[in-house]
Amino acid sequence: MILVLCEEMDVSALWAADALRMRGLAPRVVTGADLAGAVTWDHRVGAAGADCEIRLADGSRLRGSDTRGVLNRLSYLPAAWLRRYGGPDRDYALQEMHAFYLSWLHALPGPVLNPPTPQGLAGNWRHPSAWTALAVQAGLAVRAYCQTSNDDPALPWQTTQATARVVVVGAQVVGPAALVERNEAACLRLSQAAGAPLLGIDFTHDPTEGWQMTGATVMPELAGIGAAMHQAALADALADALAGVLAA
Amino acid sequence: MILLGGIPSEPPLRRVAEALAALGAEYRLFNQRRCADCAIALLIDANGVGGTLRLQNETLDLRDITAVYFRLMDDRLLPELEAEPEGSPARRHARAVHDTLYRWMEIAPGRVVNRCDPQGSNGAKPYQAQLIARYGLRVPETLISNDPAAVLAFRATHGSIIYKSMSGVRSIVKMLDDEDVARLDDIRWCPVQFQELVPGVDVRVHVVDRDVFPTEIVSDATDYRYARQSGGSATLRAIELDADLAARCVALTAGLGLSFAGIDLRLGPDGTATCFEVNPSPAYSYYEANTGQPIAASLARYLAGG
Repeated sequence: MILVLCEEMDVSALWAADALRMRGLAPRVVTGADLAGAVTWDHRVGAAGADCEIRLADGSRLRGSDTRGVLNRLSYLPAAWLRRYGGPDRDYALQEMHAFYLSWLHALPGPVLNPPTPQGLAGNWRHPSAWTALAVQAGLAVRAYCQTSNDDPALPWQTTQATARVVVVGAQVVGPAALVERNEAACLRLSQAAGAPLLGIDFTHDPTEGWQMTGATVMPELAGIGAAMHQAALADALADALAGVLAA
Repeated sequence: MILLGGIPSEPPLRRVAEALAALGAEYRLFNQRRCADCAIALLIDANGVGGTLRLQNETLDLRDITAVYFRLMDDRLLPELEAEPEGSPARRHARAVHDTLYRWMEIAPGRVVNRCDPQGSNGAKPYQAQLIARYGLRVPETLISNDPAAVLAFRATHGSIIYKSMSGVRSIVKMLDDEDVARLDDIRWCPVQFQELVPGVDVRVHVVDRDVFPTEIVSDATDYRYARQSGGSATLRAIELDADLAARCVALTAGLGLSFAGIDLRLGPDGTATCFEVNPSPAYSYYEANTGQPIAASLARYLAGG
């Protein structure tokens, strides 16, 4: 079973599920609302490894051992769950549930796009400074990043508007040809170094410096990324990465 | 150049500073309580990570800093800011200094004890247990559930069981007793972590790079860290680990991306070691003071490039 985990309104995840179906796979979409309404959770860790069984409100069961691949678009606890909890213990409950989701998602077998991390359930939600440093190491040209103690850290740091994006999926890079040709190897290195097999990387074009990386995200938009050929290539890459299914 | 950061009188930081001085290693201290007199500028470009750090009257080139050991407290709670209203210039400056320092520390080349990201696993114990198991260390049989029946069945299988938080919050171990069983329905709201009660003796293993400092703790409390509060006692003594177990502790520390860790083991009557968790920012001074193990000296050597 290929599992697609997402919030109810995640158009990208729903598009991906459709695309996987069209490529002969039968993904099971489980939404944040489904998880928030789960009747029982049974997660075990020990000598036999780790597994989890969830009984959903409709009576169906979700077993980790039945999973062969996961498109994981739950970057945080489900919104439907968050809406239910208040009171003085809310922060504690959030910490506990986050720890629980992290462990459960980590225990899911098969390729996971993206594996959970303590810094984000759908991959490490890095600060722009960390993305920039990682991109330099990967060999990408970057917009210089500067932060000082005169700046307000609460303000957004990414001020350069991206003009193009590539999406790394496993071993493939999808996006505008000119951008991919020049940066494919470096983008793959960045994805690998970030531990994020699904990664959106943003660029801007400078007349003198050429293409410069401006940011990256572990939750890239997947639907409507541009030309139809890119959309099809992205769907193929997802199917390949999740199940080894290459479209003809 | 080595950079230390935190409150100078805090024992773990003070001991490392003293050890560095004894080594004759050059170091500077970012004193959080004087952060009003500090400034930092971080620059990342094609040449890598650079910038400057001003500590009172001296300005350092960040590229000259080869090692870092930070024990930073929450800057919002600094005594110097107590009288400052929310959003005051002093509070904003303190926040900006700390934020920029953290950003730099996360990507700085050199030896950083420890970066923030790798410390994250300690905030999710069952996740960390899965990582620990990869290094050949036994982890306790664990059930996380919101189903009272499953918990009772788990207890029937394992006999006595304990419960504790999954996150780093309220991390106190308690036995599941009859009173708890009577209110077990409460777990339906949020899954709770239960574990088999592992018999044996607690051992805290501090790992500094490849140096290993095991400390045995004999206590009559379920959780020795809180022995005094629960009316119990704890006695510490330095011990030796067998070479294979020591090597696993070293590999685990490195595998988690840490260069300094406090690993909590329990050695069972048959010699089996069970690993409960890895603390990425251990307050080692308590163990060093009670055993004489030279943990600070080891950390100082590591920071100095040894």
